[in-house]
Formats: sequence, C-alpha cells, structure tokens
Amino acid sequence: MTIQIVLALAVFVGAYILIATEKVSRIAVALVGAALMVIIGATDDHGIFFSEDSGIDWNVIFLLLGMMIIVGILQQSGVFEFLAIWAAKRAKGRPFVIMVMLVVITAVLSAFLDNVTTVLLIAPVTLLICDRLGTPPVPFLIAEVMASNIGGTSTLIGDPPNIIIASRGGLTFNDFVVNLAPIVAILLVVFVGLCWLLFRKQLRYDATRAARIMALNEREAIRDVPLLVKSLAVLALVLAGFVLHSVIHLEPAIVALLGAGLLILLTRLENRKVFADVEWETLVFFAGLFIMVGSLVNLGIIEMVGKAAVEAVGDNYFGAATGLLVGSAVFSGIVDNIPYVATLAPLTNDLVQAGGAHAQPLWWALALGADLGGNATAIGASANVVVLGIAKRNGHPISFWEFTKYGLIVTAVTIALCVPYLWLRYFA
Amino acid sequence: MHASDLQVSLPLVDRTTNAVEGARLIARDRLAALVVADASGAPKAVVSSADVLGLLVPSYVLDDMSLAGVLDEAGAEEVWAQAAEHTIGELLDDDGVNVREILRIDADATLVEVAALMVDAHAQIAVVNGTNAMPKFVTLPAVMDAILLACGDGKASA
Repeated sequence: MTIQIVLALAVFVGAYILIATEKVSRIAVALVGAALMVIIGATDDHGIFFSEDSGIDWNVIFLLLGMMIIVGILQQSGVFEFLAIWAAKRAKGRPFVIMVMLVVITAVLSAFLDNVTTVLLIAPVTLLICDRLGTPPVPFLIAEVMASNIGGTSTLIGDPPNIIIASRGGLTFNDFVVNLAPIVAILLVVFVGLCWLLFRKQLRYDATRAARIMALNEREAIRDVPLLVKSLAVLALVLAGFVLHSVIHLEPAIVALLGAGLLILLTRLENRKVFADVEWETLVFFAGLFIMVGSLVNLGIIEMVGKAAVEAVGDNYFGAATGLLVGSAVFSGIVDNIPYVATLAPLTNDLVQAGGAHAQPLWWALALGADLGGNATAIGASANVVVLGIAKRNGHPISFWEFTKYGLIVTAVTIALCVPYLWLRYFA
Repeated sequence: MHASDLQVSLPLVDRTTNAVEGARLIARDRLAALVVADASGAPKAVVSSADVLGLLVPSYVLDDMSLAGVLDEAGAEEVWAQAAEHTIGELLDDDGVNVREILRIDADATLVEVAALMVDAHAQIAVVNGTNAMPKFVTLPAVMDAILLACGDGKASA
C-alpha cells in the first residue's frame, strides 16, 4: 500500500467522520476533502471535470438542479396545501383518517419531489390542521416524514441516493418504478397499520373541533392558478420524458433541465423566485463527494475492495443482497445516506458487472436499505432533521429518542419485509 | 443640533415580555422597534415591530404563506388568542430573526453623525451614552424631523 493510498484513505475516513458527527459544515468537509485529494495527487482537473468514472457526476448534479427549479416554482402555487386541507375535510375531521390521507399524500408526492421539499410543504399545513383539531401534531409529523422516506424510495427522483444509483448503474426511471414501486406500495399499507398501532392512543376526536376543519377554505391556498396549470403541465411533460427514456433517448438530467427552462420561459418569474429553492449547498456537497470517491476509484482502492467483495460473495447474490439491504439500513440510520451511497455505488457496480443479471438486484437492495434506513433515527435523513426543526419552532419539540423509538420499529418492519420481496422477486 | 436635543424616553421590554404586551406598546407609541433590556435593566438590543408582529402570527403560516388565507374569521380570532403564549425571548433565540445590538451614540454627536451612524447600523433606535440610569433614545422619526427642519421643510412634525 503506497503512501498516496494511505493518505487518500485517511482523508476519506476523516471526512466521513466529520460529516457523520456534524461538527463541521458538511460542505466545508466535502470541499476541503476534495482539495486534499488533489494535493495528494489522487485526482486532477481532467479527472474531476471530464471523467465519467471518477469525476463529478454531472447527470446527478443537473438532474437535482432541474428538479429543484421545477418544484420550487410549483410549490409557489399552493397546490399541495390545497390537497392536504381538501383531504382533511373529506376525512370530516377524524384524526386517524386524516393521518392516513396525509401519509398517502406525502408518500405519493415524495415519489416525485425530494423528501425535504415534501415535508417542508406538508408540515406547516399539518400543524394548521392539528391546531384546528386540538390534537397533538407530533404523531402526524413523525408519520409524514417516515411516509416521505418510504414513498421517495419508489422512483429515480424520489430520493437523492436513487439518483446516484441510477446514474452509476445506468438505470432508468422505469427500472425504478418496476422494481421498487410494488414493494413501496406494500410497505405503505403496512406502515398505515403501524401508524394505527403506534399513534392511535395519542389521537383525539372532538366533534366541535372537527367542525373547525370543515370551516377551512382550501381554495384560498391556491395563490396563482395560471402558475399552477403551467407548473403541473411541465411536471407532467418531465415525468413523461423520464418514462419515455427508451424512446426519446434523453438522460433524466437533460429532461429535467429542459423542463426547468420551459417553466421559466412560461412563467417569466423573477430570478429570485426561480432559484429560491435551489439548494446550492447540496449541489456543492455532491460535487465534493464525487471528487473524494472518484479519487479512491483513481487509486484503485474501490476496485481492490470490489474484487474482495466479488470473491466473498461468490454466487450467493441473495446473501449479498440481504447483507447490502440490512447493512445499508443500519449505516443510513447513523450517517447521511448520500455519502454512503456515493461510496457504495461504485462497489455495487463492480459486483453487478461481475455477476451480470443475477447481481442486478443488488442495486435495489442498496436503494431500499439506504432509503428506508433513513427512518431509523432522528438524524437518519435530512427530511427528519427538517421536521424536527419545524416542530420545535412551532412549540412541539420532538426529542431524538422520541423519534428514534418509532423509527427503529418502522425501519425493522420495512426492511424485514424487503427480504422476502427480494427473494420472491429475484431469487426464488 | 445634537443627539441630546433629540433624545426621548422609550418603554423597555425584556425576554419575558409577552408578544401581546409588546404589540400594545408598539401600537400605543407608534414604535418602529422595541428596545430589549438585559437582566440588569440596561438597553441591550432592538427588535423590529415587524418581528414582534411575527410572534402574533402562527409559525406555520410564516413557514408557508399559502396558509394565510385558509382560516375563516372565527379561526383567525383563535389564532390571535394564542399570541400571548409567545415572548420577546423567542425572537432573541431565533437565528432567523435579525436582532440588532443597540446602537450607542454620544450625547454631543451632531445630527449628521447621528444620521450616518444610524444608516450604517440600519438602526431605527439608538441609545444615548451616559444615560444609563434613565436611558434616553434617539429614534429614526426624530432624526428625520430634525433633518427636514434643518433643510427648511415646514412640513416637519417637530
């Protein structure tokens, strides 16, 4: 092992620890880590900007950018708030029915929007509904963020780890829907049952309070009807572009950027509003991560670990898939699943390349484990942290352990259900 | 004209002052901001009236402006009834609120000096140094009035 490899591993592990402990801004860690990799000589400008194997994955960066612009404009229309209030009124103010409807809405939205955006949209309206009902909002908020993590698992654009997996594995939007949406639908039904078991005692029904829900005017939430129509039309076009990938041969990133451009053209919003929800920090964090992982690829470290993994797995791909599923769930509950998947994706790619079609389910095991594992703890997913912040600001603090005691149950059940799914679907 | 010629007394609030009381002071004295005193009673910070208004509105509405219109009149009244639960201390602890340390100016500072310091600090209120026992303040409207008088504008209210 050369000094260069030792130094590169030290930088990578050090950066991982700093990201996991959140002692330093994760963007600073990713950028400093990337800079150190360049200084070590583990990568260079050509490798960073132009290498498909070891450089910044521009497909991921620009797909995220395009979707952030589209969703940022769409959310200004108020359609999500309309939906939530409409659902609460259809439920006639019965708390558990409202919870189920909000869980389903959150999961479905989360399949098409990123999880943080989804909970940012659904949490305030949930607080309003619970305030009207006089019921504690904490069970609703916890259920919604978990539904968001579950729903986001089902599509290529639902959760950032899926975008990385799609790009590294050459997987399409339809691949994700076909392979992950069925199990996510099952998990969602089971999750609704878990909500009943975990939260029903905390929900109170008061007929007088329920009447206050019926007095809400959901139409007032729609602030701009033309904007709503244009945004939904463009979103539909973009989704059609993803689905028709095999016909139009456009990468998801290109489809998302074309959609974002079209929406900007149609709405003519000022720049401040167009880019209001673009998380530049997240995009820079991704770039730094790709440079660090790419450096390990350049130095042959990933290939070395990949070969060891291939030998260890042999032809027991079900065992490998189960290990990857459970290991990813555990790891994602502890650290951010984005750096985890960025690191594991090239390794998984080595295993899939070696095993061919038999090893293809490893991608789905990685996606399921990393996405669903985010539910395990309060810091397991960015969306969890965001909801805890909103709850605290509104006078309903959720402690780490309060979230985690529910999260561990939900994660254990959902991951346990994925094992027979993988077996029956791919290995039986 | 100097800062000492413009100084006035203002009500002080502290961390425990509730939002309704803060609102009452703002409405009574037509204040653009409130002066927050520390534990010893000395002026420490300034919170804008808009931020105090933010305490009266539910956080979930501020998080999502689409919700502002969905409440009916009865619902809105209940919202105002909950405002007394909030205190000025919440503003001081909120990273999202720009709480400014109070600007300090000398009693003999000229009008230009006072104006320049307030512009530089984006301050609506400044405390006059040397008035610790009974703190005196210079307010933005008073400075504006003095400037208008100095430039011969007869419409100045002072």
